[in-house]
Amino acid sequence: MSRSLLKTLLALAALVALLGLGACGGDDDEGTDQGGTPAQTEEGGGNVTEQLFAGSAADNRANPAEGGKKGGKLTVLSAGDVDYMDPQKTYYTYAIGVINMIHRGLYAYLPGDTSKAVPDLADGDPDISDDGKTVTVKLKKGVMFSAPVKREVTSKDVKYGVERAFTANVANGYARVYAGDLEGAPKDPGPYKEIPGIQTPDDYTLVFKLTKGTGAALAGMLAMPVSVPVPKEYAQKYDKENPSTYGEGHAVYTGPYMVESDAQGKATGYVPGKRIHIVRNPDYAPVDDFRPAFLDEVDIQAGNEDTAVATRRILSGESLASGEIEPPANQLKRLLQSNKSELSVVPGGGWRMISMDNSRPPFDDINVRKAVLAGFDRVAARQQRGGEALGPIAQHLIPPGMAGFEESNSEKGWVDEMDWLAHPEGDRKLSAEYFKKAGMSSGKYEGSEELLIVGDNAEPDKSISQITEQQLNEMGFKTTLRLVTRDTMFTKFCNVPKSEVNVCPSVGWAQDFADPQTMLDPTFNGENIVETQNSNWPEMDVPEINKEIDDAKLVVDPAERAKAWAKVNHDIMAQAPSIPYMWDYQAVVCSPNVRGVQSGYSTTWDWNFMSLK
Amino acid sequence: MPLLEVRDLRVQFETDDGIVRAVDGVSYSVEEGRSLGIVGESGSGKSVTNLTVLGLTRARNSKFSGEVIFGGRDLLKLSEDELREVRGEEIAMIFQDPLSSLHPFYRVGEQLIEAVRAHHDVSKKAARGRAVEMLQLVNIPEPRSRVDAWPHEFSGGMRQRAMIAMALINSPKLLIADEPTTALDVTVQAQILELIERLQSETGTAVIMITHDLGVVAEMTHEIAVMYAGRIVERAPTKELFASPQHPYTWGLLRSIPRLDSPRNEELVPIDGRPPSLITRPPGCAFHPRCPFVREAHKRIDPELEPVDGRRDHDVACLLSQQTRADLWQHLAAGEAPARARAAVPLGEGAE
Amino acid sequence: MARYIVRRLLGMVLLLILVSAVTFVIFNVFPSTDPAALRAGRQPTPEVIEAIRRDLGLDRPKIVQFGDYIWDVFAHQDFGKSYVANVEVLSQIRENLPATISLTIGGVLVWLTFGLSVGIISAVKHRSILDRATIGLSLIAISAPVYWLGLVALYLFAPDFGVFGLGFLGGQGSYVPFSEDPLKWAQSLILPWCVLATAFAAVYARLLRGSLLDVMGEDYIRTARAKGLAERSVILKHGVRSAITPVVTVLGLDIGILLGGAILTESVFNIPGIGRLAYDAITRGDLPIVQGTVLFGAFFIIIMNLIVDVLYAFLDPRVRY
Repeated sequence: MSRSLLKTLLALAALVALLGLGACGGDDDEGTDQGGTPAQTEEGGGNVTEQLFAGSAADNRANPAEGGKKGGKLTVLSAGDVDYMDPQKTYYTYAIGVINMIHRGLYAYLPGDTSKAVPDLADGDPDISDDGKTVTVKLKKGVMFSAPVKREVTSKDVKYGVERAFTANVANGYARVYAGDLEGAPKDPGPYKEIPGIQTPDDYTLVFKLTKGTGAALAGMLAMPVSVPVPKEYAQKYDKENPSTYGEGHAVYTGPYMVESDAQGKATGYVPGKRIHIVRNPDYAPVDDFRPAFLDEVDIQAGNEDTAVATRRILSGESLASGEIEPPANQLKRLLQSNKSELSVVPGGGWRMISMDNSRPPFDDINVRKAVLAGFDRVAARQQRGGEALGPIAQHLIPPGMAGFEESNSEKGWVDEMDWLAHPEGDRKLSAEYFKKAGMSSGKYEGSEELLIVGDNAEPDKSISQITEQQLNEMGFKTTLRLVTRDTMFTKFCNVPKSEVNVCPSVGWAQDFADPQTMLDPTFNGENIVETQNSNWPEMDVPEINKEIDDAKLVVDPAERAKAWAKVNHDIMAQAPSIPYMWDYQAVVCSPNVRGVQSGYSTTWDWNFMSLK
Repeated sequence: MPLLEVRDLRVQFETDDGIVRAVDGVSYSVEEGRSLGIVGESGSGKSVTNLTVLGLTRARNSKFSGEVIFGGRDLLKLSEDELREVRGEEIAMIFQDPLSSLHPFYRVGEQLIEAVRAHHDVSKKAARGRAVEMLQLVNIPEPRSRVDAWPHEFSGGMRQRAMIAMALINSPKLLIADEPTTALDVTVQAQILELIERLQSETGTAVIMITHDLGVVAEMTHEIAVMYAGRIVERAPTKELFASPQHPYTWGLLRSIPRLDSPRNEELVPIDGRPPSLITRPPGCAFHPRCPFVREAHKRIDPELEPVDGRRDHDVACLLSQQTRADLWQHLAAGEAPARARAAVPLGEGAE
Repeated sequence: MARYIVRRLLGMVLLLILVSAVTFVIFNVFPSTDPAALRAGRQPTPEVIEAIRRDLGLDRPKIVQFGDYIWDVFAHQDFGKSYVANVEVLSQIRENLPATISLTIGGVLVWLTFGLSVGIISAVKHRSILDRATIGLSLIAISAPVYWLGLVALYLFAPDFGVFGLGFLGGQGSYVPFSEDPLKWAQSLILPWCVLATAFAAVYARLLRGSLLDVMGEDYIRTARAKGLAERSVILKHGVRSAITPVVTVLGLDIGILLGGAILTESVFNIPGIGRLAYDAITRGDLPIVQGTVLFGAFFIIIMNLIVDVLYAFLDPRVRY
């Protein structure tokens, strides 16, 4: 054949090969900064996702400390890095999972049951007074700081940990929210100040005194690393730097592990953005510790952006596990067949939502909102995230396993009462009826405003945004869709009420700790609508509900508290403020020679319980 | 035995447009120490002929026939390696544009040294000494410092001198000079020609001088061959050619040279028309489309190179009769236009 | 010549300031991420965000911020601190630079070796089957996206999971600095070098081939042959020597660009270089690091440009500054 024809065919062949192989490249990894993990139901069964993964490594969470061999090194592949290695600075569940290896806080979550934190450094559950204004915690004796401090941990060290969280040089992101009612707590971040509301009557007793009865929230917060003890006499010189250099290079450790350090005590094993090398802590005092700490060494490597390649490496290699990555969703079905024992699924501890701005037309009309919810195909949205393999349709706002979930009728929610939620695949006839109730006789939206939709331009949120736009168009809305980077979406659009975005399809929320307050207060309390970093995306401001929320914060008794928040949950859902579509899970993988135990909180494996077979 | 003898050389190139007969049966010879001038327009085949002597036209699409005898060997049949030993050592060649013929990125001296060491196993120092010697020989001032100069730092004339130095550095027996003065100033031209002449007599090198300008070869050659359309159409000792040219093409060349002693308003007489295509030669005499004295028969019959009456050393390829030619030349030499000359001389019927 | 170099260096400083200004405007003025908000946690009060903003110096007028930045960079070599990690930008860049340099230099050597020899052979055997095959294959090599090529290479040859797992190669993410373990360093880079070099080798082969074909028709080549030089001398000493100058120009630019970070190659093979650093910083709105990497990238390109121009004067004696 002629020369030019041959050249053309060659080029075409290359193109086809290119497209073909590119398609197997796999999905983009969606980053997630979801918080903790609600428990999975203890009995067999569980929701559809948990059933799918029965027989996988997820089963190991029932008996996490059994069967593990001591010794060995695990290599963890992550894409991103921790936000901080400082226990009081970090606010990222993945990072908290690492912190949990090297530092002991007052309370922690076990792999199996995550509806409730168990005592770690604390000696027993927190004692909350009936009026909620006093929280008392007792400490275990004999827990030791590592070199160069090398002394017993006392209540004063926990106190200093909380105090430094309020300083500008540490700038903890949640202490003010949950412990802001401490007597004498600074209102704004600033220089170090002693907080008189934290009392230490003796070396093993802590008494938190609050100006309001929000003790239950403070007690819940103690499961987060803000409660990690920090020796003041040693750390203050680092805390004087802005920002503090304590955590990144000079921390002292209380856990079975530590960050690899040199002879001077500088944490050389942590290379920001690249690597965290965890080794055993020679000064560890194993005082009443649930951590079996099987592994000798954990090497966490960042920079593994291509999740398909990383997954392949893990599954065909040895002593590897996924950290801050997940296998591509489109490969899950296949992996469930071929690699079930190397796979597990971890609850993400929250929900995903398509929010509607209730403060302005058209979504200020409850019938319009109900119409949209009724007609919206939430199954299609969920499909983009992996379908039912990665989570049930969310019918309300308290995720599975959390207190208040069962009180909210578990997975079912109140669909009998709220008919607009009954058909998650979308019921256009019902939708039409609600539009008519709103005064639009055609059964579709008849207004002329152009809705602004701002979504994340990375998959799968990108597709979900497009699906959202399409469905709204079908229901008669005129729309403009803008896709931007996730950070821009949050800091310039969706979290900024002034930007007047009507629909944010890429938002979600996850717990800080296992308490429904963390799911409902920041997100639906009208008093929490702020100018920037606003998390109440629907801008919901219903005075009755605001009061309900504020009242529920003050409930101390766990059973009463669960009921109170379930009622808040119900009343919020009755307002049809937005479109929750999924309580999502995350898949994790490990090599065949690894016994995988998933974390109850950090949405990945639990490094304290992992072992080699 | 002549130093170089070319016998019935034919060179063809296959191109997409057809077969180009660049050289179509050329024979000449050069004796030791003598100089031959080859004159013709561009496209006459004069360059190709001589490039072929050195084997520089060998390519995938070229074909040769004939013989080129030098030093008892047929150069056409030598291998590349054997030819390499001849080039630059026994036969040297200089070209038209000395600026582009010297490598712009190497110093002049380096290029001369290269020429020496390609054929002789001597130290760089010794070769450098020889280079300086040669530069001196060709009258380049301050040769010891000039040897390190870059080509673009030389003037045109000096460059050509350097090229000559490079060509003669290994004392070749034959120097082929392909239009060496065409790109130069007139005054510089004269200097270069003088130089070549002098060197020739001093070193005894035979010279083939290729040019389109009869004036260039008038002084310094012993013999001249006129080429047209890939063939030699006239050959004679220099004096004889100027005294008694036989071919109408030669007449055209002679008449088109301005003369110092001609009247100021006398028009130059160019040769009408253009050189013929070497792919499709005109039938008959190749010159006939441009010849002012063409006859019917000339369009069909191809003339052969034959001796002029009464002479051993003068050949011409023309169908006109001897007498006719002599008469025509008389008129032309007197300054008449060809048309008038033609009218004045009966050409007779047919060809002879 | 010295004056010329000084002039160019001054121009470089101005250009770097301009580049810095453009980057600054893009990341600071146009709607983008708000670094204070990013660092403020999930439920901050407005006071907290303000405090962070003050802390990062973001509350000052933009011109002042920019002016301070430029002064710090040029007078104190202080590129600021990352918004996200508690590290100095300069030290981050210095840490990541060796990997990028390793990748670049190795890649350059590989593609020059293959590209130039293929280019020369192609030109010399002009129109042969070999020549035509070269042109065809180079077209494919140039068109293949680097990222895809990297994935295919890993799929085929990765030591841990590749179809033809080659044990002597380092796997993805196995990069160690040369000072730590030269053998492992080399092993980790072999595959990335080949992948990076593929497209470049093809480009350079074609470039040299074209240039050499032009040069071989020059008069001085004819002279060289007429002198009786060996053909190899003619091709290399006379032909390639002339034909190499456009290649040198392009090479300088390519090196400059690659030193700014071969983002795609570094991503696929998980090499901690400048490209990865920049990419991570961009996605996290970490402006100081972005500005630092952009400045370094611009600096390398400008410097390589200058070096190439100066080199040109040595390569071609006719050029005078």
